[in-house]
Amino acid sequence: MRSVLVVEDSVSVRAFVRAVLEAPEFAATHGAVTVVEASCGFDAMRLLPRGPYDLIVTDINMADINGLELIRFIRKSAHHHTTPLLIISSLRGEQDVDRGIALGANAYLAKPFTPEQLRQTCERLLVAGKPALREPAPGEPGRGS
Amino acid sequence: MALVSKARTEKRAARRAGEMGARTEYLAFALAGEDYAVRIAHVAEILKPPPITEVPRASPTVLGVVSVRGRLVTVVDLRRRFRLPEATVDGLPDRKARILLADVGRGEQIGLLVDEVRQVWRLAADEIEPANALGGEQPAHIAGIGRPANGDGIVLILLDLHPILDSP
Amino acid sequence: MAEGGGGRDSGGDKARDEFFSEAQELVDGLGRDLLALDKALKHGRTDAELVNDVFRGVHTLKGLSALFGVTRMAGLSHELEDVLDDLRLGRLELTAGLLDLLFRAVGLYSRVLSAEKGDGEEPSSEIEELLAALGQTSQRPTGGAGGAVAQYDLDPALFGVLTEYEEHRLRSNIQQGMSLFRIKVRFALATIDSALDELKASARPHGEIITYLPTGSGADVDTIELEILMAGRGTAEVLRGAITGPNVVIEEVRRRAAATSALPAAARASGAPAVTPAPEAPASTVASGHMPAEPPPGVVATPPARGSGEARVPDATSSGDAMAVAAPAHPTRGGTAARGAAGDMSLRSVSQTVRVDIRKLDLLMTIVGELAIVKTGITRLSERARSRAADPSKLAMELQRLNRDFDRHLAQMQGGILEVRMVPLGQVFDKLARVVRQISRELGKEVNLVVTGAETEIDKLIVEELSDPLMHMIRNAIDHAIEIRADRLRVGKPPIGTIALNAFQKGNHVVIEVEDDGAGMDPRVIAAAAVRRAIITAEEAADLSPREIFALVFMPGFTTRDVATDMSGRGVGLDVVKTNIAKLGGVVDIASEVGIGTKITITLPITLAIINVLLVEIAGRLFAVPLASVDEAILLDGSQVRAVDSREVLTVRGASLPICRLDRLFGLPSTRRAREYVVIAQVATRRLGFVVDEIVGQRDIVIKALGPSLKGVRGFVGATELGDQRVALVLDVAALVEEVLSPGEARFLPWQPAARRA
Repeated sequence: MRSVLVVEDSVSVRAFVRAVLEAPEFAATHGAVTVVEASCGFDAMRLLPRGPYDLIVTDINMADINGLELIRFIRKSAHHHTTPLLIISSLRGEQDVDRGIALGANAYLAKPFTPEQLRQTCERLLVAGKPALREPAPGEPGRGS
Repeated sequence: MALVSKARTEKRAARRAGEMGARTEYLAFALAGEDYAVRIAHVAEILKPPPITEVPRASPTVLGVVSVRGRLVTVVDLRRRFRLPEATVDGLPDRKARILLADVGRGEQIGLLVDEVRQVWRLAADEIEPANALGGEQPAHIAGIGRPANGDGIVLILLDLHPILDSP
Repeated sequence: MAEGGGGRDSGGDKARDEFFSEAQELVDGLGRDLLALDKALKHGRTDAELVNDVFRGVHTLKGLSALFGVTRMAGLSHELEDVLDDLRLGRLELTAGLLDLLFRAVGLYSRVLSAEKGDGEEPSSEIEELLAALGQTSQRPTGGAGGAVAQYDLDPALFGVLTEYEEHRLRSNIQQGMSLFRIKVRFALATIDSALDELKASARPHGEIITYLPTGSGADVDTIELEILMAGRGTAEVLRGAITGPNVVIEEVRRRAAATSALPAAARASGAPAVTPAPEAPASTVASGHMPAEPPPGVVATPPARGSGEARVPDATSSGDAMAVAAPAHPTRGGTAARGAAGDMSLRSVSQTVRVDIRKLDLLMTIVGELAIVKTGITRLSERARSRAADPSKLAMELQRLNRDFDRHLAQMQGGILEVRMVPLGQVFDKLARVVRQISRELGKEVNLVVTGAETEIDKLIVEELSDPLMHMIRNAIDHAIEIRADRLRVGKPPIGTIALNAFQKGNHVVIEVEDDGAGMDPRVIAAAAVRRAIITAEEAADLSPREIFALVFMPGFTTRDVATDMSGRGVGLDVVKTNIAKLGGVVDIASEVGIGTKITITLPITLAIINVLLVEIAGRLFAVPLASVDEAILLDGSQVRAVDSREVLTVRGASLPICRLDRLFGLPSTRRAREYVVIAQVATRRLGFVVDEIVGQRDIVIKALGPSLKGVRGFVGATELGDQRVALVLDVAALVEEVLSPGEARFLPWQPAARRA
């Protein structure tokens, strides 16, 4: 059973990610997954010691500790130094996404993404446990819009 | 921002009352040929009787319930309550019947069906004979007798609504 | 936009429910924030934090709506987000016109959500209009003090973890000459939320917090070290006085003397004077609301470098440079007014969820605990009853005591659950504030809305049903009652009209007052209008008190919007309002004085319960049977009825069903009819067929309590109003089944209160 930490301040988005990752279809092909939800950076920091997590998914624009600061913190920590890290964020914050990747995130999915896109990206990151290339969401017109 | 003049009308009424010496206002009504009156302060509203819905197995004095702007109010048949003769076919026409919404400030308002609502009398203390001076055992709901000085000899049976509301 | 939506499985459905709930909250929050911005704008200020909150709200809505496939909303949000981003990054200025567009957007959001839920049409054309208007808001490049940042002794790596917005706020503060401070704190991770809230509250009066940086290795899982970067005017001493704590260290970020700037000299020179140290206004001046379309000549515009945000074109605008600009298109009065009336949004929320104070739930848990104790008592009692040596009278007393306890706790539980359904009226009042603003702009009348008692609580369902009637009344007040400015001044009233919304609890009821200081209503005028419309005769009109005359405006077909006779008064459609409120078990009352104003008072029960019932006719009277207790209803086949032991039994599909003739039970005149029906009720394991004359139909009703005066009457849980004052009593099925099927025991029990009514 693998566990995924989702850090995102929107309840619905967390529910959406949970619905996709905990769905039976996902388990059948990629193995069962439990989703742990954090609604803000501090929550995430409280939950990190309860890991280790096989994947961390985080938004960037959050109140107080933003996603970038969280990524830096995660990468400095002993246990989650190399944990696959996926940024889910809107195209708007392109500069922010670049900073995120620079700080050590492995991949980025532009919101809005389809369940299928989420499934595929997560599968790749979970299976490899290795950094994947930054992947533009299908439909994204390349860098700069 | 009190825009509406409820306060003002009350002030006016109080002033007028003061001018005439302490008087209490009573609302008079007709019931089975007799004249009754109750303190107007205890009458929240006077309604033309809406359809009265019978409540099976309720006490015989209860005529039923009516809907007053969405609220349910129990209606009491005062004739039965006071053990007066039943209304006869050639009695007063229904058109004049009214329901008085009695409210003594203790929670539930009760509707009282009367034959006809007459007028408001302002009775001074010397126009009222209290029940205990009437001699004999008076029913609890009789508060006294009112004889307005300029009333052409009319005799009002003054009612105390408390016992009626306590046990309709 | 990509389509999302999760799967159509329970996980996906739950996610979708969360979506509606969250979306509704966000839209409501946007409305409140916009109102606050409006207020600030009227005082000539803008609040950067508010603008950012609005941006975040729209940003989140965009993400959500795209994820869940609400494309209209996603598209609208996308445009709005662009505008808001420009606003918060100082590239655009907040004007009344722009704020108008934002308000319209919020209104459209609500309608789109409703349409998505299947309630109403999607306002496509209006969205198109709004998008077009938004597209015309132009953007002006802003000056940033690229060079000024270099003066501060900041870790360059800082910029790597600041989001674009945080960076903008930093530069903006630097440009205004603020000092920067580092606040180092250590918090226990478990309590950081409240500790941080306290710190924010202490810090807020002194400046703006830019960002929070977790420092430390994270090795200690219980505490967290943060470095908070803050901008402010004062000194470190002042801050140390304000923000206290055992683990707080505050130091000022050192500032070097003016360093060399990377910008061209011309830009730097014009950059400085153009900056007004206005408290929170995005980078520039200009109260005139005009925006130049391009930078004045002579300034070099350099493209933003990645990662450093340097070298934005300095803002060299001064009022003199203002050029005519494509202001956001403002719809013509007539068009909006027409649309306002016809395509008015509903203020109901699309979400059926209620936010619950956890203390209410705690109380319920406690009551459940008490019930468990009673249950234990019953178990012990039943064991004792089984033993031969049991003393019947002692058992009876014990049982009575347990019964009373149970009753009491059950009532508490019911009360507690009803409490959970309660929400503060502020919810609907907030939405009304938006409506007031919109309508007053539409109609060109300045109106001030004063709200008191917003914390008064009432059942969530009532709140939902109430929003539209209240909106209607307020629209009427602004439209008809509040005079235009000139007229008001002429009679010595303040130019701005006032509508006061007040709410308070009175016993078992909630009272809502809508009061205006408009023209008031003249009873003679109203009576005349009513007579003219044949609602009453002239003779009847003479008999009515002013209050009764005012009540006439609620009659169907009544309108005083009769230009020819120039009336002041209420307009169309108030009969619908009254009906809606009556359906909630409420009453409406009007009081008014010509020239002074009008007050509408709505009295509502605090909570209501709606149940689904079967309406039946017995002896010509209508009764309601709660469907929850009904198994089925069949035609009575007289040939299948047998008398068994003084009871009648009906054979249905081979099984025996005891039946009860309600007309006989209720002492009503029996009418022998050709066809009769049997409503088969089921309570626990017992079934009983009620024989009725007719089955009228199924309906959702609001159940109202019978007064305490009718406490002793068994067999009814309450009554409901069916319309035009007809009342149907609602059967207490459980009590009736009990009464009919166990007549022996029933006779010996002391009088029991009927089942609790809502």
